[in-house]
Amino acid sequence: MVQDVLVAQDILVDDFLTIFVSSTLVLVFGGFYVGIYTAVKVNMLKKWYMPLGYLFWALTAYCLYLMGSLMHVNDFTAKALIVAAIGLLLIPHAVYYMQDRVHEDNEH
Amino acid sequence: MANSYLTSESKKLATWYFTFAAIIFGAQLLFGLVAAIQYVESSFLFEVLDFSVARMLHINALVVWMVFAMFGSVYWLLPDETGIETVGIGLGKLLFWIFAAAIVVVVLVYLFIQVGPANETSIWFIHEGREYIEAPRWADYGITVVALGFVANLYMTGMKGKQSGVVTVLMADMIAFAGLYLTGMFYTDNITIDQFWWWWVIHLWVEATWEVFVGSIAAYGLITMIGAHRKVVEMWLWIEVTMLFGSGILGIGHHYFWIGTPEYWWEIGALFSALEPLPLVAMFIHVLYDWGKMQGEQDAQGKEMSVITNKPAFTWFVLNAFGNFLGAGIWGFFHTLPQVNLYTHGTQFTSAHGHLAFFGAYATILVGMMYIGVQGKNGIKILNNTTSTIFATSMIVGGVLGMTVALTVAGYSDVIISRAQMGATWEGYFSAQTTTWLLQGMYWRLIMGAVTFIGFLFLVKDLLTIGKAANHVR
Repeated sequence: MVQDVLVAQDILVDDFLTIFVSSTLVLVFGGFYVGIYTAVKVNMLKKWYMPLGYLFWALTAYCLYLMGSLMHVNDFTAKALIVAAIGLLLIPHAVYYMQDRVHEDNEH
Repeated sequence: MANSYLTSESKKLATWYFTFAAIIFGAQLLFGLVAAIQYVESSFLFEVLDFSVARMLHINALVVWMVFAMFGSVYWLLPDETGIETVGIGLGKLLFWIFAAAIVVVVLVYLFIQVGPANETSIWFIHEGREYIEAPRWADYGITVVALGFVANLYMTGMKGKQSGVVTVLMADMIAFAGLYLTGMFYTDNITIDQFWWWWVIHLWVEATWEVFVGSIAAYGLITMIGAHRKVVEMWLWIEVTMLFGSGILGIGHHYFWIGTPEYWWEIGALFSALEPLPLVAMFIHVLYDWGKMQGEQDAQGKEMSVITNKPAFTWFVLNAFGNFLGAGIWGFFHTLPQVNLYTHGTQFTSAHGHLAFFGAYATILVGMMYIGVQGKNGIKILNNTTSTIFATSMIVGGVLGMTVALTVAGYSDVIISRAQMGATWEGYFSAQTTTWLLQGMYWRLIMGAVTFIGFLFLVKDLLTIGKAANHVR
């Protein structure tokens, strides 16, 4: 990661494909994580699928790391990407918790 | 189609908006096809309808049909949400005709006059030359009056009737939607300042106010089509609004990387762009969650039937959840950070993102609203799919996905050759334009564009005839 320069024209030509594929996989794997988490919680999938969901989140985080490294992002952007990865991990939990509480309040 | 089952004047007005929107949607696709042909056969309609004009019509028609369908959607849901007839419906009808007439005149001027001298006359009477919102200034003022009238009707109705969460969010959102248009109406001779304000319209429409609008319409659709609990849906809507505005407003920074604005926009753009996919993920969960929950409740009661009361519309709503995530999320995210956007901006990647994002995030849900209109108009309790529904949906979705993939392949070679290898030079640009990958990508884009247009013809047939099919529950 580059310390001082935010944007440098130093992405290697051979790295572009990896960058595009890994940044695409960030959201593809993220989508699998969110989809599996939600499907398990609403009983559309069995509970043992949940670790698979978290595995997809781990792959998402790895792809973010790979993408950021190859892009030579600076420290600030690296922190933004870490925040995004943690946000993606927590959002389904927060959303499910809130939805479930409101459902309970509404139904009982 | 007869309005025999519609007693609400607001809903009747909504069907006018949907009808005009569908016509302009067709025009958008037609001019898109012309532009796609010109990409592979540059002499096609040369000096009759040049690429610049066909492209202008293609993207302006896109914005106009969506705005018409959005207004129609609001007029459709207002009586349901507020429990009263829309206040000022006479004004609403008058404004519809003014709006439609203005659009027809603008399109005729684009088609037959096309360009004018570089002075104020052209800005006032031909077009302003601002991508997406090229309407001449007289039409700008007309659109402003129409938008203010629409917002006034929404506010008067919202304040007089029941104040649901959906309408409250729409009231806040639509005033921003109308107000932001003003920032694209004034001319400055400094291109940086001009672009700065222009993005306020384009970005803050499509990545803030339009997304919130989609959230509201999705909430309405979940309540009406699968019987989702209002309290849950509205609670979720407020979270979506917070997340969308929270990430979307300052996400505007990713448009300020290279237009001459200060460098701190790189930091702001990078941070908020990284966060922008999160609300899209959340919206995706929301639809899945509510669908699963309501179907589960139905199954628990031993009723082996779907909870969905409008299958074509719900299909488009689900496509919206996926499409928003794919088009705005994935295709947006992979070129949104400044480090890579340095190479990708203004290439066919942008075009790939634009096609899938506008379709996935907006066209899908608005087509869904048209099916809700058809259901109401024909007094149908459960609207089922027809063969035309399946052809229309699969061909339009397949066509747009095909165009996106083709443009992505073209964009990749564009980035590598014109930017990474040849350093964004004039020579690099033309080298990229003649590379085999880019040319083949453009041929595939044309083929998939034709598939999309055929799908649109099925859609029109379906919207006009599905109400008469015998497989519905009435």
